[in-house]
Amino acid sequence: MFRAFSDFLSARFPVEKMNFNAMVAKKEVPVHKMSWAYYLGGLSLFFLIVQVVTGLMLLFYYEPTVSDAHASVEFITKHVSGGALIRNMHSWSASAMIFCVMAHMLTAFAMKAFERPRELIWVTGVIMLLLTFTFGFTGYLLPWNQIAVNATKVGLQSIEEIGTFLPQSLSTLPRLIRETIQGEASVGQATLSRFYALHVVVLPLLMFAVLALHLFSIQLHGMSKGVDSEVRKTEKFFPDFMIKDLTLWGVVFLVLFIVALCLPFESFFSYPLSEPYNPLGSTPEGIKPEWYFYFLYYPLEMLPFWVVFLVTNAAVLVLLLAPWIFRGTSRRTLRVLAVVITAYLVLMTVFGEQIYYIVKGGQ
Amino acid sequence: MKLVGYLIFAFWLSISVYAYPEFQKFSQMNSGRTVNCAMCHTHPDGPNGAAFGQIGSLNAEQIERLNQARAAFDPGRDVNSPILNAFGNHIIKTLGKTKFLEYRSRPKELATALGTSSDLDEDGVPDAREYLEGTHPLNKANGNPWLLFVHNFKRNKVHVVLIFLATVVTIYGLVNLLRGAHAAHELSQLKK
Repeated sequence: MFRAFSDFLSARFPVEKMNFNAMVAKKEVPVHKMSWAYYLGGLSLFFLIVQVVTGLMLLFYYEPTVSDAHASVEFITKHVSGGALIRNMHSWSASAMIFCVMAHMLTAFAMKAFERPRELIWVTGVIMLLLTFTFGFTGYLLPWNQIAVNATKVGLQSIEEIGTFLPQSLSTLPRLIRETIQGEASVGQATLSRFYALHVVVLPLLMFAVLALHLFSIQLHGMSKGVDSEVRKTEKFFPDFMIKDLTLWGVVFLVLFIVALCLPFESFFSYPLSEPYNPLGSTPEGIKPEWYFYFLYYPLEMLPFWVVFLVTNAAVLVLLLAPWIFRGTSRRTLRVLAVVITAYLVLMTVFGEQIYYIVKGGQ
Repeated sequence: MKLVGYLIFAFWLSISVYAYPEFQKFSQMNSGRTVNCAMCHTHPDGPNGAAFGQIGSLNAEQIERLNQARAAFDPGRDVNSPILNAFGNHIIKTLGKTKFLEYRSRPKELATALGTSSDLDEDGVPDAREYLEGTHPLNKANGNPWLLFVHNFKRNKVHVVLIFLATVVTIYGLVNLLRGAHAAHELSQLKK
């Protein structure tokens, strides 16, 4: 048992490869029709760096209290020099990061990048995808406006609903979990404090730890082959691939800067949703989670909760165990699966609302 | 004491509120966006109540301003009603109370009557269009996304050029730094 574990680790962390030459100088990147997908991981990292830098800047002014959170965000946007730009960059890059992480995961799946000995790269990638979603969920509450608080309430409420599908002895457990996350009977100061701590301390620490392992493993094993056919052409990781990666980062930074400067993220929301949360007022119409949760949100609105709950958990489990479940599957089959998953995600994200109205009979 | 209470109540009734939800309903239906009273009123729930910007919270000076606004039947009179925001006051000043009330049955025509010259938040989207599209005429971060982008891009042309140059120079420098580091590494390998 110990021997098997030791062999597993030595195959995943080969000591003889742990040097600059093997990990950087002599590293080769395959060149083929799917080569563009090798840049998605770097782009995700770029957006994470933007998140960290802009997040740290916002920290100087943001007040994590229910009385001042919204006012501090307004102050950042209206009175701090460059505040609106930094806030917009944080919002836009959060969405861009989630998009890139999802695209990275799908292409890595289609290219069978989890093949032995790259299982840990895949598993850490899945963990980072889940961490990224949690970043999105916790960050959404911080502006303490109508959509933030009401959408968080809906999200946390769905945890409690799991209780109705559990045996009697366990039925109160989800409620306890919800109250633990929430910190009090309803979404309030305790919830904001917890989400703030998670968003700015706990999750970044976890992310950096997992990211370090992910990047270290990639440098150790190199980029996966990616295609079934033999790779005839390669390029040097250092400096050729790095130069291309860096140039792409520059272009993307420019686009992000212009978009953040010229297009307020909030312009896509109805203005009543951006007003400060009023616990005594009525809930405005149009409360929805961020676009990257639509693939989960609309099925929850249309199907029984237990169906969505079971499918979601099964999907996470399959994702985590993909290197072992799809060990013998060809890249062609994986590509078809990836296309089907992508089609579902695009359909629910872009047309989810229309599908909802069709299913519910135009209500 | 009771008499004072009755008097206050009677006074409160005398300044009872008139809200005009026809315009809010039209804006919401026309745009598909959620719209509330904050488009024209100080308080998002409208003028009824005792919170800030609502009838019940007004002092004597504010009530006087309210009455002046209510008496502004003709266009062109400066009004500063405490229950209305700048857009609400702008509507009354531009149209006058009489004309404004006429549009209750034809809320779409309010946009035409307001014209396209006024843009109170200076976001590049005229107030009348914001009314039609259900966005806030006093919030420069809220408006038609494409129009906001075009307006802000024109306004920030210099910044865009500067950031373009800064990015190109930075990338050029970093690329050459990488090439230099690679050459130095190759050289050290050769020496070995």
